Amino acid sequence: MSTTTRNPTLRARRRREALRNVAFLSPWLLGTGLFFLYPLITTAWLSFTHYDGFTAPTWDGVSNWRYVFKDYPFFWPALRNTLWFVVVLVSLRLVTGLVLGMTVIRLRRGSSVFRTIFYAPYLAPPVAATLAFVFLLNPGTGPVNSILGQLGLPEPGWFNDPTWSKPALTLLAIWGVGDLMVIFMAALLDVPRELYEAAELDGAGPIGRFRHVTLPTLRPILGFAVITGVIATMQYYTEPMVAGQVASGQIGGSGQQVEPGYPAGSTLTLPQLVYNLGFQRFDIGAACVIALVLFGLSMVFALFLMRRGSVFLGGDE
Amino acid sequence: MTATRRLRLAGTALGVTLALTTTACMGTSQGGANDNPDADVTLTFWHGWSAPSEVKAIQATIDAFEKAHPNIHVKAVGGITDDKINQALRAGGASAPDVVSSFTTDNVGQFCTSHAFVDLNPFMEKSDIDPQETFPAAQLEYTQFEGNQCALPLLSDAYGLYYNKDAFKAAGITEPPKTLSQFDRDAVKLTKVSGDTYSQLGFMPLYHGYESTITHFAAQWSPTYFTPDGKSNVANDQPLASAYRWQKALVGKLGGYEKLEKYRSTFGDEWSNNNPFMTGQVAMAIDGEWRAGMIDDSNSKVDYGVAPFPVPDGMADQYGKGYITGTIVGIASTSKKQNAAWEFVKYLTSDTDAVVNFANAIHNVPSTLAALQSPDLNPDPNFQTFIKIAANPNSNTTPSSPNGGAYQLTLQDLGYAFESGKQTDLQAGLDKAAEQIDTDIAQSQ
Amino acid sequence: MNRQSMLQWIAVHAFAIAAALFFVMPFVFVGLTALMSDQQTLTRELWPDPFAWHNLVTVWHTHGFSTWWRNTIIYATVGTALTLLSSIPVAYALACFRFRGRNLAMMVIIATMMLPPQVAIVPLYLFWAQNLHLTGTLWPLIIPLAFGDAFSIFLLRQFMLTVPREYLEAAKVDGCSDFRALLKVVLPMTRPAIAAVALFQFFYCWNDYFGPQIYTSENPAAWTLSYGLQTFKSAHHTNWNLTMAATVLVMAPVIILFFFAQKAFIEGVTLTGVKG
Repeated sequence: MSTTTRNPTLRARRRREALRNVAFLSPWLLGTGLFFLYPLITTAWLSFTHYDGFTAPTWDGVSNWRYVFKDYPFFWPALRNTLWFVVVLVSLRLVTGLVLGMTVIRLRRGSSVFRTIFYAPYLAPPVAATLAFVFLLNPGTGPVNSILGQLGLPEPGWFNDPTWSKPALTLLAIWGVGDLMVIFMAALLDVPRELYEAAELDGAGPIGRFRHVTLPTLRPILGFAVITGVIATMQYYTEPMVAGQVASGQIGGSGQQVEPGYPAGSTLTLPQLVYNLGFQRFDIGAACVIALVLFGLSMVFALFLMRRGSVFLGGDE
Repeated sequence: MTATRRLRLAGTALGVTLALTTTACMGTSQGGANDNPDADVTLTFWHGWSAPSEVKAIQATIDAFEKAHPNIHVKAVGGITDDKINQALRAGGASAPDVVSSFTTDNVGQFCTSHAFVDLNPFMEKSDIDPQETFPAAQLEYTQFEGNQCALPLLSDAYGLYYNKDAFKAAGITEPPKTLSQFDRDAVKLTKVSGDTYSQLGFMPLYHGYESTITHFAAQWSPTYFTPDGKSNVANDQPLASAYRWQKALVGKLGGYEKLEKYRSTFGDEWSNNNPFMTGQVAMAIDGEWRAGMIDDSNSKVDYGVAPFPVPDGMADQYGKGYITGTIVGIASTSKKQNAAWEFVKYLTSDTDAVVNFANAIHNVPSTLAALQSPDLNPDPNFQTFIKIAANPNSNTTPSSPNGGAYQLTLQDLGYAFESGKQTDLQAGLDKAAEQIDTDIAQSQ
Repeated sequence: MNRQSMLQWIAVHAFAIAAALFFVMPFVFVGLTALMSDQQTLTRELWPDPFAWHNLVTVWHTHGFSTWWRNTIIYATVGTALTLLSSIPVAYALACFRFRGRNLAMMVIIATMMLPPQVAIVPLYLFWAQNLHLTGTLWPLIIPLAFGDAFSIFLLRQFMLTVPREYLEAAKVDGCSDFRALLKVVLPMTRPAIAAVALFQFFYCWNDYFGPQIYTSENPAAWTLSYGLQTFKSAHHTNWNLTMAATVLVMAPVIILFFFAQKAFIEGVTLTGVKG
């Protein structure tokens, strides 16, 4: 039970405070209700209905769920791709960000120039950056393969080849590693110099210093970067979607339907399936099933993040 | 008006029949529109044309219509894809279209059963248009679904073979191939390898090679995509399997998948002046009649000829056929100006002068019986070749299905897997595709 | 400098330069290709000959391009302003007031921050399309920002926690209302965070692809740069040269803005991560 008080002035103050809290929070309370809770509940309900957007939804039991898990040909490939991105893309971004961060703070001259160069691609609009990479890695006329060819190296098919399309997307993601680099730089600068000096006195080489001083101090921020990286991978949408459409050469021609996940489904991700089912096939029930799966997975990782808890929440209690 | 109607099983000539109960709760529709066609209105018209010459041609048609109907204004929005049409028809609202045209017949089944488009039969009755006497049977067929004429043909398309005459001369080929074995031989002869790529390719068989889709090829074998009771027939259809095998063999003959795929990535945009046939990168192409117009309008120097696409060796007597399809136009049931919209649709689809002029301007095949006989039709022999393909009784199209073109995407996917060697057992792939098509159709209703 | 640290110096700089090349090259090639002629784009040459500067002009005058620009600027500026207006009071309440459910509220905010926009998109689309008939306009993108943005609230709140309590208390003693305390005490002290949030939100709107794809795709007059750029190559039947010229024109403002506001950016990014 809440603490009721008999003191009328105190009670009035409490009421005033509660009113004030609600007033300040009102935009968010309304927004959460309208744009989060309401759609979430509706999504859950629609996932059990048959609905094509024209005729009213009809109750359909678990048939959408069965369809998605058993018969929808893109679901498992999309999940496998996501796993691939989590393992390869997230860890490579982490390593690159860390290496660049460590390099830049060691530069005595021009470190701000280098920081700018490494950070700028992160800001390139994703659609523009993706178009640029599809062009750069275009197997026929792209400059990367021209150079590889002149050096006598093999020329991969990149965005046109199912085995190379994910590595190509990974390159694109590494190019935009600036955010991680800056975060790592800030953390690295926080490592007390005395720790390094002490380690050096103990005869630790560069690798030893990295293992025994740098890594332990960075551990919390690395954990943070891993989890946010995984969460970002769950949302991975624009880059694979645009890359697939542009590389397939089949965007926008009237009468053509966009082929999801070109080439050969190798760039499918879960959010793209929501688009494919909900906004191309207008199988709204099945689209809602994917949305809920996505919700569940994202929540699991969000909980991980929150379990790391008060540090991240930055609470004062 | 809300109408609950049970759509009966009805065999269509295209062979798709389905039993379904649909509750229609859309707009006003069913020809019961009572807006005043003489009121001053502005219609929004969506179409897919985007090449400058095509946009100019449709605008000329609109201008002629506005002159004849001073009270009706038409605002045209071009370059619209079917995804967007589908989305907007569900949304309604101020920016939603009244009149919609689509380059594909794939979604007609969906548009009709969902009542996204209104049934045009009552409108035609009111205007004393007898569809049977106005439109060719095939075109009338692909614009209706189970008796609901929810769209009308707005010009049609026929696919044939384009060949580069200079390349033919240089390779010592005197006439376009008539059978596929001749075609394969010519394609190899026309291919010039340079290092690990090509300086000229005879033909781009890959399924991403623009119009080289499995359904366009398969038309030469006259496949049956659905059984009379609406089930997928692709697992048992020998013609379709033959088409897949022919393409795969040709990929091998021309240098293999990887080499071709790499060459494909050097191609310019299909609709630009850098289309690989127009730049001479490929010596032969399967394409629609519009390509001739685009080549003539461009500064491309390619000296080209056209012919029907070759037929399988055992079907030489059917030479002259090809894949046909067409642009369709319908009236959105969310439109509040349906009578005015009908005036426009009537003009676009059945006014002989309008149809002939538009067909001539964008090099499409006209879609009314009167226009096909018109003396004003472009007498260009290339164009006449396509008119003949369109009129060939063995020419065929891809049937409409209740979930639109989804089954064609499934077949294309199988094509990608088969040409790249990911799927080696064709029959297993076809079995799986058939099962997928059936579950997708079941899921869509 | 001794030999070892000299070698180290060289190694670090050599690596930095090599890495910088990798990061700069895409920009260089995009820029060069944007200036090639049509014919040249279909070859493997790397250097434009001659320089076709008019490509940029051609793209700028391409039908629709200036409309996309205008729409993007409307979306980004109005969206950013609304985000700040709606998020600041919420962040303030979460940072400075004590009340039950505050931690729960923070948890919900973090959860919504983590959610892909696709989770709730289906009912939201139906709501905007069928109930309000506002699809095909920028409104479905802008209006939700008037109701607070989880990431902005989170970031602002983190920063507001660092405002010393004593200042707030002193303001109260002077008879300031909570609202005045926010205006007079908290806002001036959180200026860097507000700048960072504004920049992030501006960039988010500028770069947003999914929102415009869902809500505006049916009406070309409402497209933004991100969505328009994706359709550019096929819709205008262009080759890579013009497509890259368009890419340059979409990237340029963002990169230029970055050079002017570099400090605020880097501080903002650090702010998001450093608490971990």
